[in-house]
Amino acid sequence: MEGAARDWRWSVLAYALALALTLAVTTVIIVALGHDPIPAYRTALKDSVGTIGGLSQTLNRMTPLLLASLAFALGFKAGAFNIGMDGQIYAGAILATGVGFLLADLEVGRIVGLPVALLAAGVGGALWILLPAVMRVVWGVNEIFTTVMLNFVATLLVEYLATGPWNDPMAGEAITLPVPRGVTLPMLLARGGAHSGVILASIVALAAWAFLYRTRAGYELRAVGSNPLAAQMAGISLRRVHLLALLLSGAAAGLGGGIEVAGVHHRLLLGLTPDYGIMGILIAVLAGFHPVLLIPANFAFAVLVAASDSLQRTVGFPSAAVFMLQALVVIIVIGVQALQQRRRRFVI
Amino acid sequence: MDWSVLLSADVLGQMLFFATPLLLAALGEVITERSGVLNVAIEGLMALGASVGFLAAYLAASNGVGIGAAMAAGGLIGLLLAYGTISLQVSQLTLGLALHVLCVGLASLLYRLVVGLQFVPPQIQTFRGKGGDTLWQVLTGLPGPVYAVLLLAVVVHVIIFHTPVGLRLRACGENPRAADLLGVNVFRIRYLATVVGSMLIAAAGALLPMMLTATYSDRMIGGRGWIALMLVILGRWLPFRIVLGGWLFGYVEALQYRLGLQLVTVPPQFLLMLPYVFVILVAIRAYGGAAGPQALMRPYDREARG
Repeated sequence: MEGAARDWRWSVLAYALALALTLAVTTVIIVALGHDPIPAYRTALKDSVGTIGGLSQTLNRMTPLLLASLAFALGFKAGAFNIGMDGQIYAGAILATGVGFLLADLEVGRIVGLPVALLAAGVGGALWILLPAVMRVVWGVNEIFTTVMLNFVATLLVEYLATGPWNDPMAGEAITLPVPRGVTLPMLLARGGAHSGVILASIVALAAWAFLYRTRAGYELRAVGSNPLAAQMAGISLRRVHLLALLLSGAAAGLGGGIEVAGVHHRLLLGLTPDYGIMGILIAVLAGFHPVLLIPANFAFAVLVAASDSLQRTVGFPSAAVFMLQALVVIIVIGVQALQQRRRRFVI
Repeated sequence: MDWSVLLSADVLGQMLFFATPLLLAALGEVITERSGVLNVAIEGLMALGASVGFLAAYLAASNGVGIGAAMAAGGLIGLLLAYGTISLQVSQLTLGLALHVLCVGLASLLYRLVVGLQFVPPQIQTFRGKGGDTLWQVLTGLPGPVYAVLLLAVVVHVIIFHTPVGLRLRACGENPRAADLLGVNVFRIRYLATVVGSMLIAAAGALLPMMLTATYSDRMIGGRGWIALMLVILGRWLPFRIVLGGWLFGYVEALQYRLGLQLVTVPPQFLLMLPYVFVILVAIRAYGGAAGPQALMRPYDREARG
């Protein structure tokens, strides 16, 4: 009981410290850029949670982030490190867009078009991780290298598609033609521009929780992640579990890419979800890889991203800074957790 | 198409040239990994090295100062990584990835704060070689860092395999408990290896603007850090084999630019994919029978039983 109380206090300390440091560093950067921080913060608050429009921005950013962090968590639970979510997001977006163009000729409605496109997105993400997953289970190749290399390949592939065969000649930049209305997501907050993808992503997160903690396959997956040797001795096939976990991971990220196309841009473009895949890793670490805790953690990070985008518009706050701040938050939280572990040793 | 370009003096010279930053980063990584610490922040460290190195070289108008500043910045991040993974025993992958993101953000932020948004990006002097036409002239006329890094590979090999410090370094990576019992300070060796390795990796990042581009841009590392990490495995944690692997990757990169000039019908994006696809293919070979240091990624805990 006493231990639990101490845990709670340490967590509060960690998050308070992280928040204080984030605010301090942000303020220093705003001042260094030659602006007054108070009005900038007021606008940032309005543009992230204070208005319907702001909240919509946050929810829209939360959707791909949630699915990316879920993708990392699903792999991690089985002891696999998929850090290629950015590539899988692109792959999902490519397939969703491609299917969208195919469906345009058939003129199907949303009832058929949207599920088919989103399914294609999931399949695209899974296909993009198929090679790393097979290499892992057949040759024992660490998936970190293969997934991260495919990120660069996917970026180049999107660049090719968006400037080449699918290019929108009217746009004059690396962007494809719009997908038909039949594969776009309905709005959630029409006034603010929030699409309903956030609900879908949250359902997927809850389903992932049910899968991991309420099914046999999920139990096997967690067993392999926590102690592969014991799991193998118990008769669980490590190869099958790793393959399953990595494919599910890729599918989750791919779905994120499809939702981003169907919900926000209605096109495929370079920089669809700028580095959300790698942000997803940080969020998954922060939420302790728990699918349900990922939902509030992603909301918090999405607020941070939306607020920093607002600061970028008002005071020219560099977009890289938010990247650094997120890493700082995670480093502080895991540092405090480690300190807590070390302290516990001295208190018997 | 003229296939003789595959072995022309130009391409061979560029092979050594493009291999240099990769080799320096891989040498830094091998020192760290030999002590039992995996540094997955390598890509971010190179980005930070490129940014800090470029800015210092630009402000001081000296590439030497740039490399020194990059090494100092890399050393600081290395110290953070060492404290987290060695003293606090945090997961090396988790903290490494978080530091990678931190460094990528910091690199971009520093450049924005110092240089700001400019229409014409500032440039620094690049290292230049004499150049030439014959194979001998090309191979001896490359910029200085090419030879310096090859010399460093020899030095790293000698230190790891032929000095008492190297023996202790390897012992910490293979069996830290045995090393500890024989009086080796495992923590000090691992700290030292992590900090020195990070400094070399950051210096490798600084070589990119100083050898290739003369300017800094946010995405300029382009996966070279991850490739260097793969290079260590492909080279079986042996400096000389890493040099051979580095030349292989350097060759693919050199070829990609040459092919770009020859095959105008192929969209450039597909040629740019070549190095990445090549790494994936090589990975199959690299992992066949690869056995890293036994204690790699395992924090040493003096109080643990067993």
